[in-house]
Amino acid sequence: MKYDYEWDRLKTWLDQYGAIDDSVTSPEQITRLDLSAKSLKEIPEWIGILSKLLVLNLSNNKLSSLPESMKNLQSLRNLDIRRNNFEILPDLLGSLNIIALNASGNKLRKIDILKFAKELRVLDVSGNVLGSIENFLAPINQLRTLNLSSNLIKDMRAFLPYLSYLERFNMSNNLLSEIPKEIESLDSIEELDFSSNKIEKIDSAFFDLEVEIVDLSANNLKELHLYSLESLEELTLDENSFSVLCIEDYFAPYLREFSCDSCSLKEFLLPPSESLELLCYSSNEITSIPDAIAQYTKLTHLDIEENDIQELPHSLANLVYLQTFYALGNPLSEDAKKVVEVLSPDICDLNMKSGITVEHATIEDLSQMAKLLAVLFAIEKDFQIDFEKQLLGIQTLFKDNRTDLLVAKYENSVVGMITMQRLISSAEGGYIGQIEDLVVDEKYRKMGVGSRLINKMRVIAQEYKYKRIQLAADIDNSNALEFYNRRGFNKTNLNVYHYSV
Amino acid sequence: MKNKEEVLEMEICECGEKTVAQAIEIMQNTSLPFKKAKKLVTECNKSCCRVALMKIYDMKDFGRFDYDEIAYVIEQRLERLKRLSEGE
Repeated sequence: MKYDYEWDRLKTWLDQYGAIDDSVTSPEQITRLDLSAKSLKEIPEWIGILSKLLVLNLSNNKLSSLPESMKNLQSLRNLDIRRNNFEILPDLLGSLNIIALNASGNKLRKIDILKFAKELRVLDVSGNVLGSIENFLAPINQLRTLNLSSNLIKDMRAFLPYLSYLERFNMSNNLLSEIPKEIESLDSIEELDFSSNKIEKIDSAFFDLEVEIVDLSANNLKELHLYSLESLEELTLDENSFSVLCIEDYFAPYLREFSCDSCSLKEFLLPPSESLELLCYSSNEITSIPDAIAQYTKLTHLDIEENDIQELPHSLANLVYLQTFYALGNPLSEDAKKVVEVLSPDICDLNMKSGITVEHATIEDLSQMAKLLAVLFAIEKDFQIDFEKQLLGIQTLFKDNRTDLLVAKYENSVVGMITMQRLISSAEGGYIGQIEDLVVDEKYRKMGVGSRLINKMRVIAQEYKYKRIQLAADIDNSNALEFYNRRGFNKTNLNVYHYSV
Repeated sequence: MKNKEEVLEMEICECGEKTVAQAIEIMQNTSLPFKKAKKLVTECNKSCCRVALMKIYDMKDFGRFDYDEIAYVIEQRLERLKRLSEGE
C-alpha cells in the first residue's frame, strides 16, 4: 500500500485534538469534524484531502483565515466558524457549495464573497461589525434564513431585492431608521425581527407582506397605523413611545398574539382578530378596559400590569379560556377584584404570594416535610399515608450525604419540597440523580413553586456533573405528567416494579 | 477565557446594577415569563441587557448554565457600545 504522507500528518493532528477515533483509517471515512474550542490559530493545509467532509465545526477558536486547500472540500455543506477572529470571509468560501454558514461573533466588515455562494440557505453573520454593506448575495440565490442581528447596519436597501426566497430574517440590534419600500421583495417571508433598532418610519409596502411573525419592539416609532398584514399571527410593539397608534378594521384577521408593553398608550386598543389568544398592555397609561374585550373568546393570556385601571368590565368574566391574568400595579376597586374572583384564572399575580423561598432543608423542616408527603401519597396509589414511616424516610434521607433535600418556605412554613438521591448508572457510565417527593401544598400551587424546586435541583445535578436526572410519576397524576413533559423530561419505555422484602 | 467565578461577578445589567450571579439567583427564584422575570433583574422597562438575560432565562429552564456563552454575550454588547461611542 502506498504511504500517504498528507493523511498521516493530518491524522496525527486530528488525533491530537481528539477529533477522530482509532476506527478511522482513511480520509474518505471522515464526514463530520468537530474542532470547536481548541484555541486553534490555524488549520493545516492537509485538511483539503477530506473529500467527503460534509460538516466542519471550527467555532470558538482564534482563526483569522482558512487554508487554500479547503477549496477541495467540495462535499462540505455546513461550516461553523462562529466566534473566531475573522475580519473578512475567506475567498475560498465562494468556490464551495456550502448550504449553512455560521460566521457570527467575528469581526467581519465585509461579506461580499458570499455573492458566489449560490447554494447558501442558512446564513448567520450576527455579532459582527457590518456597517454600510452593499449587496452580498447572488442575484439568484436560495437563502431561507438570514441572521444579521447585532451589527451596525443602517440601511438594508442594497440587499433586500435579493431576498425573495427568505423565510426568516433577523435584523435586530442594528441601527436601522426605517423599513424601506424594498421590503416588498420579501415574497416568502414568514418571520421578521426588527427589534432594538431606531426605526421611525415604515414604508406602506411592509403592510402588504404575507409575514406571520413580526417583532418591532424597542424602536423609535411614534406614529403607526396598522392595517392589512393579512397573514400576521404575532406582533410585538413593546417599548415604542407612541403618540398615535391606530388599528384599522381590516388588520391581521388571524392575529393570535399582540403585545404593546411600555408604549405610552392611553387607550386599550382592540385588534379586530377573533383568534386573539395573548394580549399584553403592561406598563402603559391605560385607565379602562372596554366591554368589547369579551369578543376575544379564545383569549388565554391578558396582561394589564402597571396601568391606571380602577374598574374591570363584568364582561371579562366571560373569557372562559383565560388562564393567565397579570393586573398588579393598578388601583383596582373592590368591584374589579370581585370580577377577578369570578374570572378565576389559573395564574394571577394578584393571588401570588411574594416571599416564597427555595432552600436546602434543615432538621427543623423534616416533620413538616413528612406531613406534606401525605398530599403526594393521597394521589399515588402505590403508597400509603403513614406519618411515622414518612418521617423516618425523610430523616434517613437527610442524614445521607448522597442526597439533597430542598424546601419551599413561606413565612417559615414548608409549602413545597423535592428530594434527589445519587445513583450509579451502568448505562450512563457514572452518577445520576433520582428525583423523588416533588410536592407543593395545594394553597401554593399555580405560583411556580414546583418549577423553582425542580430548576434548582437541576442546577445542583449540573454542579455534581450527574449524567442525567430521572423520576417516576403516577400514571393517574396527569398534572404531574404534564408538568414534567413541559420541563423537558422524556418518558421512558420502562415500567417500574417493586417487591416487598 | 474567564472562569466560572469571574463570569458570575460580571455586571450584566447597569440599570439594576446586577451581577450575573444575582441575575441567575433572581431568575431561578421566579417562574414568571421572561418579560416579567427580566424586570425583576433590571427594575426597568429597557431592553439593553435583554439578550444576555434571555440566555440566562433559557439556561435556567434548560437546567444547565453555559458561563462562556453568558460572558460572550455580555462582552459582545460592551464591545458594541464602545464602537458606537467611538462613532462607528
